[in-house]
Amino acid sequence: MMIDIALQDFSYAYTHPKKVLDNINIAVEKGSFSVILGPSGAGKTTLCLTIAGAVPHYFGGSSAGEVHVAGINTRKSTMHHLALTVGTVLQDYETQLVTMTVEEEVAFSLENRGISPEKINLRVKETLTKVGLTGYEKELVTSLSGGQKQRLVLASVLATNPKILILDEPTSALDPEGTESLYRLLGNLNREHDITILVVEHDIAAVLPYADQFILLENGKLIFSNTPENVLSFMANSHVFIEAIPPLWQLKLMLEQHSSYQFSPWRKEQDAILELHQFLQEEANKNA
Amino acid sequence: MLELQNVDFAYKNQSPVIHDISLTVGPGEFLAIVGRNGSGKTTLTRLIMSLIKPTKGNILFQGSIIPNCTPAKMARHVGYVFQNPDRQIFHDTVAEEASYGPRQLGYTPEQTATFVNEALAATGLSQLADAYPLSLSKGEKQRLTIASALAMQPKMLILDEPTSGQDARQRDQLLKLLIKLNQQGTTILLVTHDMDLLSACAQRAIVMAKGHKVFDGPVSELFQDTLQLNNWGLIEPAALKISRELAAFGLKQTASINELSHDLVNMLRRNNYA
Repeated sequence: MMIDIALQDFSYAYTHPKKVLDNINIAVEKGSFSVILGPSGAGKTTLCLTIAGAVPHYFGGSSAGEVHVAGINTRKSTMHHLALTVGTVLQDYETQLVTMTVEEEVAFSLENRGISPEKINLRVKETLTKVGLTGYEKELVTSLSGGQKQRLVLASVLATNPKILILDEPTSALDPEGTESLYRLLGNLNREHDITILVVEHDIAAVLPYADQFILLENGKLIFSNTPENVLSFMANSHVFIEAIPPLWQLKLMLEQHSSYQFSPWRKEQDAILELHQFLQEEANKNA
Repeated sequence: MLELQNVDFAYKNQSPVIHDISLTVGPGEFLAIVGRNGSGKTTLTRLIMSLIKPTKGNILFQGSIIPNCTPAKMARHVGYVFQNPDRQIFHDTVAEEASYGPRQLGYTPEQTATFVNEALAATGLSQLADAYPLSLSKGEKQRLTIASALAMQPKMLILDEPTSGQDARQRDQLLKLLIKLNQQGTTILLVTHDMDLLSACAQRAIVMAKGHKVFDGPVSELFQDTLQLNNWGLIEPAALKISRELAAFGLKQTASINELSHDLVNMLRRNNYA
């Protein structure tokens, strides 16, 4: 097992002494799909910025403990050096857009790395196809909708072939279809290209089919980090952030509470439909 | 209260983005506008607010035609909450921010203070009255923009995707607030992608697709045609999908996960499974 992202006893304050992250210990395996959960103000965005190196290199502040990303000690490295391995989509994605047109935007980071124009053209085409923006190459970035801008930022990041992808609420401006297709894309990148993915997402139902690990933060502290099943059960049993439990799991937990039956850890609606169908059929046969 | 008559809208020298929309909104309604990114939802609300003018057709508010109206006049009656709260916050404290609207409308300082206090209490921001708005979390900023709208005592509130970027707790709080406001008589027009939110609070839904109004009716009817839902880029709530697939066992169709859970538990009890 290789660890791609490791935080050891990490604490951070933008301004001393108010700790935004408090003694965090997290290990993210290489090639895994992890989701950071927690109410607003839990420290989720700061955690993303820490892994990208913006904390402390850009924001300053005071910190304690160690952060290693792809084997690099972030404190001893630079944001520029980390960006060769880590691609980041910020919560405030509009701040990442710097050029006039869509294709210039995707080409920008590649040009900065000295890649040949032929290769850049090819890569721009590939990544725009991946995020569903083919045909928009010449459009002005300012004319795009919020959802399109969010996908453009992802395309610009994917074009650099990052080994680790950090995404802070990447679906906040997307419609339900866009959200589903974005996570399908991230799921594929994770499984087929072994890219480590760490995402902040409020909509647990959207990431449940793909996630290996849930990391639950509250008030700057790590509350629990484990498989999605175990974290969701923990949230329900300990009454922590229960509002975020997706409808599918609300149903499962309620049924289990009122029966002796234990259902399997549903990831998708189809899992629930199949199992409930089988269960109700068996019970109907028994009573027939 | 509000009427759109065959409204078209196009940006200069471009093809129309809103095609022939007619609709009426009665007082006290809770209406949701849904549809894909780019389907014209936000443009429609901007037309209602008089921020842009129809290229064809009329918009009437309480019988008066809006083209003769300015956004400032509309703001006397309709509170508008932008998708991005940063776009409408410009004062140094939360209380000052919420006071701007009623002060502009000519209310006395005493009246303004009362309205602001009520609005901050309704949105759970009383404790933050002296805070610097830009230091608030996104959820708090969103509630501040709602408070600023409420402080102007609007008859109607338009909210453009108010739950985007909100955590589940804030979403639940917002849902409760909107239901309460609606019960107190405020007409609410909610642009949203959140089908669970829609089924939990709206009575009526309008679906926009490529600038056209393709559905206008009760929320319960909206979810009946799953094929059309897919065509419009809408995803049915989990409870509805599950209850429909298990209808053969006598489950009634519902969009509410609580109702589905109760029905299933009752079914287990009836059959002595539990």
